[in-house]
Amino acid sequence: MNHDTFFELLFIILIFLTGLWAVIFDPNLVKKVFGLSVLNSSVVILFILEGSRLGENTPILEDGIKNVVDPLPQALMLTAIVIGVCVSAFALALSKHLYHTTGTFNIHEIRRKVHDDN
Amino acid sequence: MNKIWSFIWSFSSVLIAALLIAFLIFDQAPWPSSSRDYTEASSVQDTGAINLVSSIYLGYRAYDTLGETIVLLLGVLGTLGILQIKSNNEPTRQIQKRRTEFLKVASGKLGPIVLVFGLYVMLFGHVSPGGGFQGGVVIASGIVFLAMGTREAVYSPLVNGGFLKKLESLTFFLIVLSALLGLIVNVGFFGNIAPLVNIKPVYFIVMLNVLIGLKVGSSLGLLCLVFLWDEAT
Repeated sequence: MNHDTFFELLFIILIFLTGLWAVIFDPNLVKKVFGLSVLNSSVVILFILEGSRLGENTPILEDGIKNVVDPLPQALMLTAIVIGVCVSAFALALSKHLYHTTGTFNIHEIRRKVHDDN
Repeated sequence: MNKIWSFIWSFSSVLIAALLIAFLIFDQAPWPSSSRDYTEASSVQDTGAINLVSSIYLGYRAYDTLGETIVLLLGVLGTLGILQIKSNNEPTRQIQKRRTEFLKVASGKLGPIVLVFGLYVMLFGHVSPGGGFQGGVVIASGIVFLAMGTREAVYSPLVNGGFLKKLESLTFFLIVLSALLGLIVNVGFFGNIAPLVNIKPVYFIVMLNVLIGLKVGSSLGLLCLVFLWDEAT
């Protein structure tokens, strides 16, 4: 076990579980979307931290810069952030439409109303 | 009673997830250094960008960037399409104008400065921290500032949803075109065409950075405008 990054990894797990808790337990749809966003952020932080196990300097090769960190996880997370924003926007639009149709954000009440309509 | 059971089920599944993630994260495997060594040694000759991150996402792995722009386009299309559906019992109340004079003046003045900073981040993405995505997000926040500070006297086309849609389509078309140009002149899909016209290869990276920045900025700005008020749809 790498003891240098033990507490950072523990903190990342806590952020991940916070997002997961919001996604599976909170009945509010908007808070579920926020939980997805928090999950996404924890994964981004994990990748950046793991990529910085090698080297010390920022991956911008100016004169005399050697021993840079791995730039590949940073490049991958760049796209992951934008896709996370897309997913959040799409989920929020769906939640807004559900709110306009059923009048509530609560997932249990939405299920009950849809059940009653059928 | 039902709520207690739901709490217990959720808590136990989060605990199981914590165990699984802990075994995945706290491992002893060292991070492989081959990709870092390769990019550090040869990316400046290959792409000309000293920012290794932009040399990866616009040089070696430009496919990823193309797919990401397609996902962004689909996200915007889906969001606009869902928000355009009008349900029957949607409240037709008038949206209250909660903007104070201070907010209007401050955000209207901040907007152009943020836009210029976004252009800077976009244009110097190959030599400094930054690039198309980051500059695009800064431009989107500048668009939100302008939209919050808009008054009837000073109207900018940037807060107009139709203009942003046209800009997004145009930049996406140009990205696909610059990818296909490499096929025509025989350097491969997304190949660097700059050396064939006797300019430095880094200008291809700069051009792609600007295109992606405008694309991301117009898409995210359009999404924010749609959620701020529905006039953009």
